[in-house]
Amino acid sequence: MVPVKYYLLLSAAVFCIGLYGLLTRENALLFLMSVELMLNAANINFIAFSLQWGNLTGQVFSLFLMALAAAEVAVGIGIILVLYRNFKEINVTVPRSMRW
Amino acid sequence: MAGPFDYSPAIVALPFLSFCVAVGVALSGRDLLPKGGALPGIAATAGSLLLSLWTFFAVSQGETYNETIYTWAAGTQVTGTLGEPLELTFGLLLDPLSAMMLVIVSLVALLVHVFSLGYMNDEGETGLLRYYAGLGLFTASMLGFVVAHNLLMAFMFFELVGLCSYLLIGFWFRRSGPPSAAKKAFLVTRFGDYFFLIGVVAVFATFGTAKFAGAGSFPMMASNALEGEAAVNTFFGLEPQAWFTVIGLLVLGGVIGKSAQFPLHTWLPDAMEGPTPVSALIHAATMVAAGVYLIARMYGFYAVAPTALAVIALVGGFTALFAASMGLVKKEIKQVLAYSTISQYGYIMLGLGAGGYVAGTFHLLTHAFFKALLFLGAGSVIIAMHHNENMWDMGGLKDKMPVTYYTFLAGSLALAGIVPFAGFWSKDEVLYEALVHGLGTTGGLGTALLVAYGMGLLAVLFTGFYTFRMVMLTFHGEPRSDTARDPHGVGWNVKLPLVVLGILATTIGFVNMVPVQELTGLHIDFLHQWLYGPEEGGWPELLGTGGAQYHDALFAEYGAGMDAAELSSLLPAVLSLGLALFGAGSAYVLYGGDDPDPYTDKLGPIKDVLYNNYYQDEYQVWLAEGVVLPLSKKADTFDQGIIDGVVNGVSSVSLFSGSRLKRIQDGVVTHYAAMITLSLTAILVAFALLGGWF
Repeated sequence: MVPVKYYLLLSAAVFCIGLYGLLTRENALLFLMSVELMLNAANINFIAFSLQWGNLTGQVFSLFLMALAAAEVAVGIGIILVLYRNFKEINVTVPRSMRW
Repeated sequence: MAGPFDYSPAIVALPFLSFCVAVGVALSGRDLLPKGGALPGIAATAGSLLLSLWTFFAVSQGETYNETIYTWAAGTQVTGTLGEPLELTFGLLLDPLSAMMLVIVSLVALLVHVFSLGYMNDEGETGLLRYYAGLGLFTASMLGFVVAHNLLMAFMFFELVGLCSYLLIGFWFRRSGPPSAAKKAFLVTRFGDYFFLIGVVAVFATFGTAKFAGAGSFPMMASNALEGEAAVNTFFGLEPQAWFTVIGLLVLGGVIGKSAQFPLHTWLPDAMEGPTPVSALIHAATMVAAGVYLIARMYGFYAVAPTALAVIALVGGFTALFAASMGLVKKEIKQVLAYSTISQYGYIMLGLGAGGYVAGTFHLLTHAFFKALLFLGAGSVIIAMHHNENMWDMGGLKDKMPVTYYTFLAGSLALAGIVPFAGFWSKDEVLYEALVHGLGTTGGLGTALLVAYGMGLLAVLFTGFYTFRMVMLTFHGEPRSDTARDPHGVGWNVKLPLVVLGILATTIGFVNMVPVQELTGLHIDFLHQWLYGPEEGGWPELLGTGGAQYHDALFAEYGAGMDAAELSSLLPAVLSLGLALFGAGSAYVLYGGDDPDPYTDKLGPIKDVLYNNYYQDEYQVWLAEGVVLPLSKKADTFDQGIIDGVVNGVSSVSLFSGSRLKRIQDGVVTHYAAMITLSLTAILVAFALLGGWF
């Protein structure tokens, strides 16, 4: 069996890629994709620990997390659509009015 | 069985009810009451008088009443060395002193209501509902003050009385004078009441109770503490007696304001702007009496504070002389009476301060009647003169209005202290008490009493003079104006109160004829017996408000340490009578002619000083504008600059840092994400370092 630490390393790598994307990209769709990567990193963690401890709780949670990700995408795409309708582009640095 | 004391609360409630009726009708906006609302007031005060007489009768049978009726706030914890938790209560104390005062107040109030029919209704005044509502509330609060069984309740009614005085002085609020006089009266008496309020709090803090009478009342606790039998809280490291003196002087502040004593007397002459019946009721017979009544009410407390007694006597003696000298030169009949009121209350203070509890109370009784009489008589003259109050426009009214003349004369003889009218007996006893206690007592108190006696004696001469100057100018000689030649008539409702009071002013002195007792050996000092009570048992032991107990406290080593010199009461009586007769006689000689000259004008600059009231008003206005106003401006600067500056400075730090910090939130979502990441990292690093993961 593959030791759990490799799964964790994979998960950390995926999470960091997602975080990097989140901090550097300006396109809202890429933004959303980066968030998906981070969510899936968490999913990998759940499943790895579920395997490690031999119970199904983590796997059940990962199923919940997928449903959550789907919902999040639905909301995110909605926001992006509104963004496009208002600014004719989906660059997240353009809308700046939501501040003090 | 329901006795008179069960109905005693109604003595206070009835006039209050008449006030409510008058206010209710006024609010309804319809003319529901005949006579502008006078009838409910007359009915209520008549009811109060009957109940007061019933109470008086019950008290004369040796019954007294000292019960709490309603506790409106009660503590649960005992503080300090106090025996019981604090209780704030309403209750009645009906003993000979309050029973006597109840009869005086309700009788004068009834007569003033009747007189008002003539002075206000018949003269076609408007706003009568307001007037009678004020009179009703005033009567209720004064009666409530009289029966109060603790100092806090007394204070509350004291303030109500002051409020009514304000409302009634300012009755003609569309003219220029009355509103400002009302404000002045309100503010000046309030200045004194401020000290009174602190005194009330001090009494509570010291004794844990403010009851006037009975076991555990504060005058009794004060005596016990000085005898070393009980402990009380004292403050500022003062000995009990010194601390009691401080409390006594604080309460005295209220007394000086309300009883118009020097230096807070300036409001009373101005208060003459009010309707004359109001002057009679409030500024002569009752409200001004509230101050000195308070001293008599808590006399057991003052009896153990010799310094406070000396101050009372000196203030009283000085005020008696000071006010009488100003009365000498006034032109207006009500002004003369106003200054004589101040002066006579000075005598009452002198009597009480000199240890003459009975004497002071006696003068309070006689003065209430003869001064109410004089004011109502003056009111009658003013009606006749079409509201011209200048005595130099009068003259010759003697034959035109004989009822007013003879009753006014009776009042004047009583005021001047001519035997056998009421004022002679009481004023003489006041002076006698001051003399014997002054001669007998050693030390500062004795000297103070003798000085006060000297001033009081000199004031007798002045009193005789200004009284008869007033009588001569008003009623004798030839008429000096057209209105005096053809005066307006007055009706029964003016004459009836005058006659009742005239009879009382002539005869009320017979209740306490001490010099005659000495001559004949008859026991005719009824007021002494009334206020002393039975020698063994009875109410004095129950309540501790008997004259004998006050006497003991005054003469005790721990108390005032007074002593009385052996002296016949005849010689001082003859002396003061001689002075009064000399004053009255010289006024008769000077002003008795057909067309008297204004002799007081020959006094030159002295007359100016007297006529301008020793520039007391100017001096007090200067004190307010020249000293207090700049001082309060400085205080305002301090408040605005330093106190507010500190508060605003603290808040400006938050404001400034907030306005800088908010710039972090710039609206770019990526920056937020970066911030969250960095913060999370920082937290993780911090946990790692603190948790020792590395």
